[in-house]
Amino acid sequence: MTSTITPPAEAASPTPSGGAKHDRTAHRTALTTRQRLSRWDVRYSPYLYIAPFFVLFGLVGLFPLGYTFVVSLNDWNLLTGPGEWVGLENFAAELQDPLFWNSLFNTFSIFLLSAVPQLIAAIVIAAVLDQNIRAKTFWRLSVILPYVVTPVAVTLIFSNVFGEKYGLINNLLTTIGADPVMWKTETLPSHIAIATMVNWRWTGYNALILLAAMQAVPKDIHEAAAIDGAGAVRRFFSVTIPSIKPTIVFVIITATIGGLQIFTEPKLFNATSSVPGGPQRQYQTTVLYLWDLAFNRQDFGKASAVAWLLFLIIVAIGLVNFWLSRRIAGAEAKRTKRSTRRRLDAHAAARAEASALTARVGAGGVTGAMVAEPMLDDPDLDEPRPEERA
Amino acid sequence: MKLSRRTRGAVAIAGAASIALLATACSTGGGASAEGEDITLTVTTFGTQGLEGLYEQYEADHPGITIKATNIDTGGNALTDWQTKQAAGAGLPDVQAVEEGWLSKVMQVSDSFTDLRDYGADDLSDQWVDWKVKQATDADGRIIGYGTDIGPEGLCYNGKLFEEAGLPSDREGVAALFGGEDASWEKFFEVGKAYHDKTGKAFYDQSGFVWNSMVNQLPEGYYTADGELNVEGNAELEARWALLAQGAADGLSSNQTQWDWGGGKAFTDGSFATFVCPGWMLGVVKGQVEAGGGDATTGWDFADVFPGGAANWGGAFLTVPTTSKHPKEAAELAEYLTNAQSQVAAFQAAGTFPSNVEAQADAGVTGESELTAFFNDAPVGEILGSRAEGVVAQYKGPDDSVIQEQVFGPSIQELDSGKADGPTAWQHALDLLDQLVQQ
Repeated sequence: MTSTITPPAEAASPTPSGGAKHDRTAHRTALTTRQRLSRWDVRYSPYLYIAPFFVLFGLVGLFPLGYTFVVSLNDWNLLTGPGEWVGLENFAAELQDPLFWNSLFNTFSIFLLSAVPQLIAAIVIAAVLDQNIRAKTFWRLSVILPYVVTPVAVTLIFSNVFGEKYGLINNLLTTIGADPVMWKTETLPSHIAIATMVNWRWTGYNALILLAAMQAVPKDIHEAAAIDGAGAVRRFFSVTIPSIKPTIVFVIITATIGGLQIFTEPKLFNATSSVPGGPQRQYQTTVLYLWDLAFNRQDFGKASAVAWLLFLIIVAIGLVNFWLSRRIAGAEAKRTKRSTRRRLDAHAAARAEASALTARVGAGGVTGAMVAEPMLDDPDLDEPRPEERA
Repeated sequence: MKLSRRTRGAVAIAGAASIALLATACSTGGGASAEGEDITLTVTTFGTQGLEGLYEQYEADHPGITIKATNIDTGGNALTDWQTKQAAGAGLPDVQAVEEGWLSKVMQVSDSFTDLRDYGADDLSDQWVDWKVKQATDADGRIIGYGTDIGPEGLCYNGKLFEEAGLPSDREGVAALFGGEDASWEKFFEVGKAYHDKTGKAFYDQSGFVWNSMVNQLPEGYYTADGELNVEGNAELEARWALLAQGAADGLSSNQTQWDWGGGKAFTDGSFATFVCPGWMLGVVKGQVEAGGGDATTGWDFADVFPGGAANWGGAFLTVPTTSKHPKEAAELAEYLTNAQSQVAAFQAAGTFPSNVEAQADAGVTGESELTAFFNDAPVGEILGSRAEGVVAQYKGPDDSVIQEQVFGPSIQELDSGKADGPTAWQHALDLLDQLVQQ
């Protein structure tokens, strides 16, 4: 930059190199305030633009995380405050506590019961919405509607529907002569009931995300597949699903994080239960367990330890997800590479075979010679041309 | 002693803004306060305590004082609110309403509440029933709260169902049926068994409330008076547990979901015929019956009798956290809100039975009201006053509510649903006690 604006005279004069350097720096400091501001702007303002997120994250994300860890190392009563420093004892105690493992089992059971059917349903709904149907916007808005309703309202309604004595479902069951199901006091029925609430809320949301991904799949791939004779089902499994795989992985990861932190549904499903999460903790999820530890049993230290254990579990699952999706992607790439190579090899082999065949045929027959002619003639055609020109 | 005792029918009344407006209008009229500065007092209450109308009056009488009131919908939410602020050490109001059910928690940090004896509590203490004052007194003898309402327990029963079962249905007859002054739990279950044999129906809604009453009326409950755990090997508790288990096995419990009752349906379809009723529960029963489509003709009545003697469940106190910048003014406000006149007004507004002796005898309490009309013209004020006699202030240990909810809660559900018999469920409770409570 400086060299272009340096006057030629100055460049020609035999100043010592040190002086030239000095001059240059002089030039640099001689920038106007405006220029300096603009330079700073280019250099630093991007950090300023992203700062709000990081400041907020540090304040409400990172600091609580660290503070929770400090709390978890203490025998900390919610009301009377910090007691003794106990190191990792809270973690050890929780890892041995059957109630902690019970909460983990409940969390994973509810997660699996909700995530698997939810994902399948969401993909199917998205595929249907991706078709050329009438009143598209209406249908798309309809599937997102459950997501708009607050989870508290959803839970209150479902809690009523799943009531053991006066609930709608059990009423219907008894009318058709079946036994009522103990939705709120038995493990599997309660997990199914809570998973239903989660599914009701999240299926439409995930369907819309998957729909967006599906619409980004190039139409020509579908057309090419259709021309090659693939039916709608074949195209769905061989074109659509592989193309939206990254989105599916994203949906699975967010569903995992959400699923492991499930709180509102089990908390309000039986809001008046004396133990949060069912009389015998049939659906006390881990977050509900840690809430119970902190606010009912006042053990803030152990609750913090549980929070950290849950955090570590989610990170671990996130890593497993990441590794799996990379492996799938890697295997996919390898498979396509392999199949391409196989196809290329087959092609080369076929060519080689064909040429060998033609050579053989050309040597022995007229028809072969006719086919082989241009190939055999090629070198001859190339060579004489310069000569002709000359 | 379930924390969310005022869940039903409790509507948060956010009148703070309008009251504040009124206050500014009033304060211009009268003379300025002694110091000449305006003071704003914050008050946090919960459920339906019936204090809203009193703030206005107080502001009118005390120029320069503005009351900013917050009412939290349920006792359970109010507990979470208080605990969070207490733990954070910030955000507490000048006057904090505290429920009897939280006392075990509150007393752990009683030094963070102002000792009201500094503001004349000793001279006032005669105005309340004696056990109410004892409940609000901590181990060091500091009085940290002024009593608002109490929850003396009587027996709600459905006269029509009693009649159908061939039992006496008038209040005096029912009281005599259960043994009058000598009413015992044995007698209660005996009558229940007879009722069940006759009708095939359950006698009470679920065992939880019955168990709470059984424990809370004892001189010593889950803890001894010295603060020692008192569950394992407690013959009195075990005997009562055996009664309860036998009752559930005999089909006396309707195994309803407490605080839900099928949206009130269970109160109107004859699922059960009796219900333990602290004063404030009468409003709950009325609300439930109405929600279930019933009215006064559904047959609910209120008898002046309670098995095992006098019992109290619930009630609240007004405290002044030490974080208050105006403890003197806050204590004066708390005193005003709990005096006889105010308690009568609160009873009329929300049906909370006064802890103030003078208010209990007031015609505004003993007279007729919507509640008396609903309960077959039962003189509820008079009955509650008589039920309040002989209540003992039981010592509540630090984990009292945990033991009640989390140790015995699951076992009671096991009894009601027939998952376990008495001794097994008792053992489960002891196991949970070991697991949950540090001893």
